[in-house]
Amino acid sequence: MDWERERILLEAFLIVCVGVMLGLSFNFQAVFHAFDLERNAPPPLTSPSEAFPLPADLATTRSLLDEGALAVDARLPEDFAAGHVPQARSLPWADVEAALPAFLNEVPRSRPLLLYCSGFGCSDSFDLGQRLIREGYQTVYVFEDGFPAWEAAGLSISREAQ
Amino acid sequence: MSRAAKIIYHVARVVLGLTFLYAGLIKSEDVTTFAGQVANYKILPYSWNFVVAASVPYVEMIAGFLLLINRRVRPAALVCIGMLVVFMILLGSVILRGLDIDCGCFKPGGQGTSAWVAMGRDAGLLLLSGLVYALRGRFH
Repeated sequence: MDWERERILLEAFLIVCVGVMLGLSFNFQAVFHAFDLERNAPPPLTSPSEAFPLPADLATTRSLLDEGALAVDARLPEDFAAGHVPQARSLPWADVEAALPAFLNEVPRSRPLLLYCSGFGCSDSFDLGQRLIREGYQTVYVFEDGFPAWEAAGLSISREAQ
Repeated sequence: MSRAAKIIYHVARVVLGLTFLYAGLIKSEDVTTFAGQVANYKILPYSWNFVVAASVPYVEMIAGFLLLINRRVRPAALVCIGMLVVFMILLGSVILRGLDIDCGCFKPGGQGTSAWVAMGRDAGLLLLSGLVYALRGRFH
């Protein structure tokens, strides 16, 4: 009987191990990307759990925007001008030191922010998210699939330059 | 085992297997979105949400598949019991902390399911898992 229990426990453990290994193998890129972002991020000034922006999917992104979150485009100004999420504000990570003071003056710290850049290959929105959290913004999300996913979903795009 | 008990066992096994297989399949299609839902629980560090989101659907799929094909049923049911207990503890923490989030139980980014509804559903599935585990033991 004890041997039977041990066998069941061992097989259950194996099911979990095989599942984890398969999952990590099939999704290696996404997991590696997440660790890479965290590893290369500047050291947090607050506690680690508060220093990272929350990932948001497309549905969450849309619902956050509907609820009044401010979309923040972390891409270069020329990319922003070529097309961006409607009502989004440009805050290019590449030029953050110059653009940030005006942003901090105009956007209240309590306003939820939804950051995006060019999708999976782009870490600018994540880096910007960390910076904005350190500047005191309380609710910061990153739309990780970025503008390409917004565009691919057929959602409306504004093209006028800010 | 009586005929009625056998029918209950097979129905519970198939329902549980299909539920876990479906839950795993639908979540494995969009791991990033699921990672966002895991992150909404505000328990793990950033990148570990992706590890969980990458792994859990495959564990669910394997357990569900084994239940469906009626092989390694007790280990698979035990995995389901373990996962459901963890899910229910997490949902309990969501309720206690007053978080208003989607449980992330099935389709990532789908219609939101409150923690209370998810807790009730998990309790039902836990009952089914226990039933499958116990009845399977009476076969052998």
